[in-house]
Amino acid sequence: MLAKPQIVVVDYGMGNLWSVLSALEFLGARPLISSNPADILKAEAILLPGVGSFRLAMKSLIEKNLGEAIKEAVQIKQRKILGICLGFQMLADFSLEDGMTPGLGLIPVPVEGFGDQELEGRKLPHIGFNQVILPNSSVLFDGFTGAEDFYFVHSYRLLLKALPGKGAICNYGVDFLAAYEYKNVFGVQFHPEKSQDVGLNVLANFLQFARDAGRKV
Amino acid sequence: MRSETFTTHQIIGNPVSTIDRLSNWNVDELVLLDISRDDQHDMRREDHFVRYDGSSTLDLLGYIARSCGMPLAFGGRIRTLEDIQQRISAGADKCVVNTQAYRRPDFIREASETFGAQCVVVSIDALRHSDGSTEVFVKGGKEATGLRPEDWAREVERLGAGEIFLNSIDRDGVGNGYDLSLVQDVTDATSVPVVACGGVGNYEDFSTAIFEASAAAVAAANIFHFRELSYPRAKQACIAAGVSMRPANVDSKWFPRDQPYDTVRENERIQARLANAKSDHVRSVYASDDVPEMTWCKRCVFPVISATPMSLDEDGVCMGCRMAEVYDNISDDEWKQREGVLFDILDQNRSTDGLRHDCIIPVSGGKDSYFQVHYVKNVLGFNPLLVTYYGNNYTDVGERNLKRMKDVFEVDHLIYYPSIGLLQKLNRLSLIAMGDMNWHAHVGIATLPIRTAVQQHIPTVIWGEHGFTSLCGQYSKDDYFEWNYRNRREHSARGYEWNFFVGIEGITPQDMMCYQYPSDKKIFETGLRGIYLGNHTHWDANNHIELVRTQYDFEVSEEPFDRTYRTMSNLDDMHENGVHDYLKYIKFGYGRCTDHASKDIRSGVLSRGQAINLVRQYDHVKPSDLVRWLDYVGMDERTFDQICDTFRDPRVWRKIDGEWVKSNLWDRAG
Repeated sequence: MLAKPQIVVVDYGMGNLWSVLSALEFLGARPLISSNPADILKAEAILLPGVGSFRLAMKSLIEKNLGEAIKEAVQIKQRKILGICLGFQMLADFSLEDGMTPGLGLIPVPVEGFGDQELEGRKLPHIGFNQVILPNSSVLFDGFTGAEDFYFVHSYRLLLKALPGKGAICNYGVDFLAAYEYKNVFGVQFHPEKSQDVGLNVLANFLQFARDAGRKV
Repeated sequence: MRSETFTTHQIIGNPVSTIDRLSNWNVDELVLLDISRDDQHDMRREDHFVRYDGSSTLDLLGYIARSCGMPLAFGGRIRTLEDIQQRISAGADKCVVNTQAYRRPDFIREASETFGAQCVVVSIDALRHSDGSTEVFVKGGKEATGLRPEDWAREVERLGAGEIFLNSIDRDGVGNGYDLSLVQDVTDATSVPVVACGGVGNYEDFSTAIFEASAAAVAAANIFHFRELSYPRAKQACIAAGVSMRPANVDSKWFPRDQPYDTVRENERIQARLANAKSDHVRSVYASDDVPEMTWCKRCVFPVISATPMSLDEDGVCMGCRMAEVYDNISDDEWKQREGVLFDILDQNRSTDGLRHDCIIPVSGGKDSYFQVHYVKNVLGFNPLLVTYYGNNYTDVGERNLKRMKDVFEVDHLIYYPSIGLLQKLNRLSLIAMGDMNWHAHVGIATLPIRTAVQQHIPTVIWGEHGFTSLCGQYSKDDYFEWNYRNRREHSARGYEWNFFVGIEGITPQDMMCYQYPSDKKIFETGLRGIYLGNHTHWDANNHIELVRTQYDFEVSEEPFDRTYRTMSNLDDMHENGVHDYLKYIKFGYGRCTDHASKDIRSGVLSRGQAINLVRQYDHVKPSDLVRWLDYVGMDERTFDQICDTFRDPRVWRKIDGEWVKSNLWDRAG
């Protein structure tokens, strides 16, 4: 039993942890940054951030034995995970960025690029605030209704498919999965740490959920 | 920084409080360009709340990023991949590269491959020549490249830039709108987002660039610092014009405007200062640092290290002198046109139903107050409500002038008298906390008229001249700088809001009511604008005094002040020219006489030699009103001196053989 649910931010040597950490600390959390699989297995909640190449990120995750640890923590120990941006994509089955690379397989959809026809002249990467249609009665969007604007920076996206959980949808020429939650698996394509009030509300909702779950143990 | 055509740069404030304000509004994205030539950000002010350890670019970035909830693109002197890595580690989301991309184009490719295209913004500074052609410049607009912006944009995209930040050199800070054909040409040439920058003078300019020049995003600097709630109002104008964007937040939950103070830490800071004051060897927290040579403006007598933000141009002339030239060269026709702008603002907001006054004029009862009311009521023909914060420091002459205003102008006048007990506490506590016993006066004057405006739904407040513009040239004429909270927070309050004092010596929130600034939401709903008359009519203190004396029997002081040769200023507050100003001398080594003499050099009343003699005679004088003040707050002179010494700026003062010494203008001028 954990007196204080431990939040671990996975450091696999890529991307910018700083903003995520800063946002978590801003919200009063005291996360542990770790690249140690043992810490991941002990964590109550896992945060998987990421910016950059899917292939390199997965490679690094596997080399550091973090991929297996995350899967065990989430699938067997039922720990909560939140993937952000590339971290969200890494929860998916596979990505077609830079070849075909398998992901962690926690969300059964593929990651693909935006097609030229779909974009209709829109530019990549998809950068900036964009409107997200939110699901009803979800954990991440508790307190929100309808739609909100979040900050995106990405060129690949999770495809929209029939899924068991709750999804939020954004449109950039084509609809794509902007956020998803099912049981203990959470992910957001946008950057909640850079989406100001609304983004911090999403992170606060996830932290609250992890805290509540921690108390129930 | 306020910038104009890449040549004029005026310091307008502390980046930390500016960025706090942008966070309040949930700004979509911030581009922060470090234009300093060396890696030094001197923000050493013992008398301001905002202080941080370190002075390098990365120190500053780290400090800013902590309170920055928006995406942050950071640029300036980025030459290596390691520079980028360091900036990302310190909190930047994107890096803005300019000169180095031109020097070594492969740098763009390497950066893009290492950090991703989304992280690499290439900034292009373009100049439109008089023949209409455009050219890319680097090195802060100093070095021509012979490249056309659209060709260079195509090339940087090919190399992997994720975004282009397009700035127009000739439109920079001019305020006449974006260079639309430049924006369109570059946008057409590339498929990455182009952010347009340079030239915004009105909120309407943003949507024009989006609709008429296909800009993917629009950016501006100056305008956001010049007006109250500028960002929410800019977005309001864009949305009204049909741009699809999220509205600004004026009531942020996570980034509230008025934040609580860490009372434990603040108390420790004060206790440490008091202990320092009592010790035999008063030391400054920065005493070990290198002390640069003192420099002064070559034309007036203003020092560069000053209470007001000050910068010199390449000829060694200060921005105060430069802006005085700009204002002096405004033609009569242009003044007529500027007066028309003011008349229209007042007219659009005049009371149509007779249920309120037309505008508010904050008055102290001084010569400027008389001129403001004269101008608004008797020249332009509006009915103002006068509002006075009574700081209990009036001279007899000043008090008579104040109370006669309702009679000589036939206007309504609200005078607010805070309790004397509270004023005594605030005088003493603010001396200890920030070396300024007049915090209450500065913040009271900067708050009460705005509170009244919001309470009475009066959308226009008319101030006199903008002090920092006339003194240190902070803004230029076409900025039409308006009243705003950032200015109040940073300059009037030194970063110390009303709630800083709550809990100390039993002070309650209710005690501090007249210092509580209205919420952004209420100000937004009131549509409040604070206009400076100095931007609309020629401001000449020496002429004004003649006018108000002859037409309205304004009284001047019979006795000269201790610390300046002028007899017409600051009759409303005996300490403003006295103890308060002496504190400025203790901190920065100069006083009101330097201010007055500099202004009189600029208006041709004094020669520089005469001015230096006056400064030498007055600046150091310990004023006689100190006796009243010490008695008023219950402090002895030795304690006062000890506390003062802890605020001495180490860039100005050194202690040698038990005496505080500094270099002086006359040491070199001879």
